[in-house]
Amino acid sequence: MDMKRSYYEDIELFGSGTVLFWAIILLAGLLAAPFFATQYHVYLFNLILVHIIVAVGLNILVGSTGQIALGHGGFFAIGAFVTVLLMTKLQLPFFVALLGSAFIAAFFGFLLGLPALRLEGPYLAIATLAFGLAIMHIIGHMELFGGRTGLSAPPLDIGIPQLGFSWVLHSQVSKYYLILAITVGMVLFAINILKTKAGRAFVAIRDSEIAAEVIGINLAVYKTLAFAVSAFYAGIAGGLYAFVLGFFDPFTFNLILSVIFLVMVVVGGLGSVMGAIAGATLITYLMYDLFKNVGEVPVVGDLLVSFSRQWLTVSGIDNFNLIALGLVMIGIIIFEPLGIFGAWIRVKKYWKTWPF
Amino acid sequence: MKMKRILTALAVPLLALFLLADTGFAQRERGFDDKEIRIGQWGPQTGPAAPWGAVARGSKLVFDMVNEKGGIHGRQIRYFIRDDQYNPSQTMAGVRELVDRRGVLAFVGGVGTAPGMAVQSYLRQNEIIWVGVCSGAEAFQDNPWQWNMWPSYFDDGSLLAKFAVENKGYKKIALFYQNDDWGMDAMKGINRRLKEHNMELVAAVPVEPIERDLSSQIARLQSSGAEAIIGIVAPTQAAIALRTAVSVGFQPQWLHSYNLCDFALMNHITDGLWAREGVITSAFTDDPNADTPLMNSYREAVKKLAPEERWGIFYMAGIVVAEPLVHALEKAGPDLSTAALRDALDSIADFKGIGPRITWSKESHRPPRELQIWQCGPNGETIVVQDWIENELSME
Repeated sequence: MDMKRSYYEDIELFGSGTVLFWAIILLAGLLAAPFFATQYHVYLFNLILVHIIVAVGLNILVGSTGQIALGHGGFFAIGAFVTVLLMTKLQLPFFVALLGSAFIAAFFGFLLGLPALRLEGPYLAIATLAFGLAIMHIIGHMELFGGRTGLSAPPLDIGIPQLGFSWVLHSQVSKYYLILAITVGMVLFAINILKTKAGRAFVAIRDSEIAAEVIGINLAVYKTLAFAVSAFYAGIAGGLYAFVLGFFDPFTFNLILSVIFLVMVVVGGLGSVMGAIAGATLITYLMYDLFKNVGEVPVVGDLLVSFSRQWLTVSGIDNFNLIALGLVMIGIIIFEPLGIFGAWIRVKKYWKTWPF
Repeated sequence: MKMKRILTALAVPLLALFLLADTGFAQRERGFDDKEIRIGQWGPQTGPAAPWGAVARGSKLVFDMVNEKGGIHGRQIRYFIRDDQYNPSQTMAGVRELVDRRGVLAFVGGVGTAPGMAVQSYLRQNEIIWVGVCSGAEAFQDNPWQWNMWPSYFDDGSLLAKFAVENKGYKKIALFYQNDDWGMDAMKGINRRLKEHNMELVAAVPVEPIERDLSSQIARLQSSGAEAIIGIVAPTQAAIALRTAVSVGFQPQWLHSYNLCDFALMNHITDGLWAREGVITSAFTDDPNADTPLMNSYREAVKKLAPEERWGIFYMAGIVVAEPLVHALEKAGPDLSTAALRDALDSIADFKGIGPRITWSKESHRPPRELQIWQCGPNGETIVVQDWIENELSME
């Protein structure tokens, strides 16, 4: 099937006319979505888009470079807090603040990448985990960051108010278009980066560090670069998240969030940008929407509630959320180790040869 | 391969479930119809803050009791709980979903400052009634669509200090507080009160909520020579502080905030030290074991409607915040509307359930300023050492 005949075919953004066609249809659908959705759904879309940015960035690190990371909640927090502070304390325009916070997150990513040069597997997991937890508590301790009380985001002004050009986005819908544009840009950037020298180096490191070093890849440079790029993504996402939410405290960015980010990438399919997108979408939808509402679904809801009353704690239906999420995760690892992306490949193959 | 086929077969009902979850409830008229009134609450049912989830379930008891008696003016209360795991982004998702998809008339309670802050401006913009956020933070005080039940931390500190000075005659009082808005607000109330008596705190020792070794703080409190210590800290730290103090032979009178008045819980996590030391706390409900008709009716209802629940203070807090809403819904009459409910809430005067006495008006939605003071008896029982008392030094 996807036979590549030349290098240039391999670095094409859209592999074929069909892919381009469906990508355009999808984009059109996303642009039109707010006209058919309630406010609530637009908020959910915004959350999904933000999570997609994080997942795509995390995938570059975990999926493509093979470095485990459990501290992305920390970079996410840096993005959110620094963006808001740059805007409120230094009066910087939104886009400058967003980029600034992302670069600060990237710098912290670089710092975290340094110990990663010597650590592997579970030890790296512990180090990144510690980073995520530490960031949360450091922010909580500092008055500048609003302490444990948290921060409120200012109005989202995407103009340059200092020059008298002001364009404030009030509604979730207008924020949706901003976030959608940024998400599309970040996703294209991720697809492309994997086809550059750096991207190839990442994959080589994942496949074999020694082999990579032998063919002249500087491990120190590319490993820290992978951390920095990944943190940059989380920083951008955090900055947008601050405005989707409007108010946040340090404990919003807790350990669970970091783990959930990793779950998104694994469920979606390690090493695939499309997989990360699918994973982020599915997990966010399950966590924020379906699992919260199952209790009101006729028959099934009542059944689950009575089961919970009988066997689990008094919390009722909410007992099932984490159980179900865990089952999804275990199911994916047992039956479809390549995640949603793997399933997609299989479906594609099946139809290619259908009906034979 | 077989497993995969089974999974594919499972996918069909799963998909149907997805669709059901999304379409079963088309948009309806906001808030109520002839058969039901829709009310929502968020609270951490799972995750690290899960013990506070009892608040949301406590409110359910009140609504279930109303429904059993035939509802309010013929309408049943349909009550939605959304688990937010104490995470603002999930609170926001749950609240928007309840407003947009279920069309709730009002929110009741809602645990925590951060989750509440996250949804405050959204609820205000959409003019949705919100009764009794479970936080004493000042930030909730001037929202015209919000009616407050939770006593402010300023009043809490002030009344604890008043009891220590006037009833107990302590001359040397120290403060052990959580280093954030909660602790600071309470400290203001304490200092204001002590000023009345020309006194000052002999020591004010802050603690970070994640600290678990409190020996240096206890040493500072001990060296200040305090006879009584007012604690504005979380349950775990109060327990650790008490153990540490007793282990070094330092046994002052502890007075804690109303967030720690669940004596059964505190006794459990201190292995009975709470009772042996006779810790005093403020409290925002009547005695849980009081023999009053109202309290008895709740206790019986729990046995009948929610036998798996513990009759604890957080559960009761859910009742406290739901009572005035039910009262206002009854007052608003059969011609229900958001405006009618708002007016009914604004005209609540001298209403007393099992919580403090409430009076709201168009101008003021401030929480009640009265608290009780309890002491933990030798067998862990609740001794009311001071009946409802209003803070006359309250801030406007």
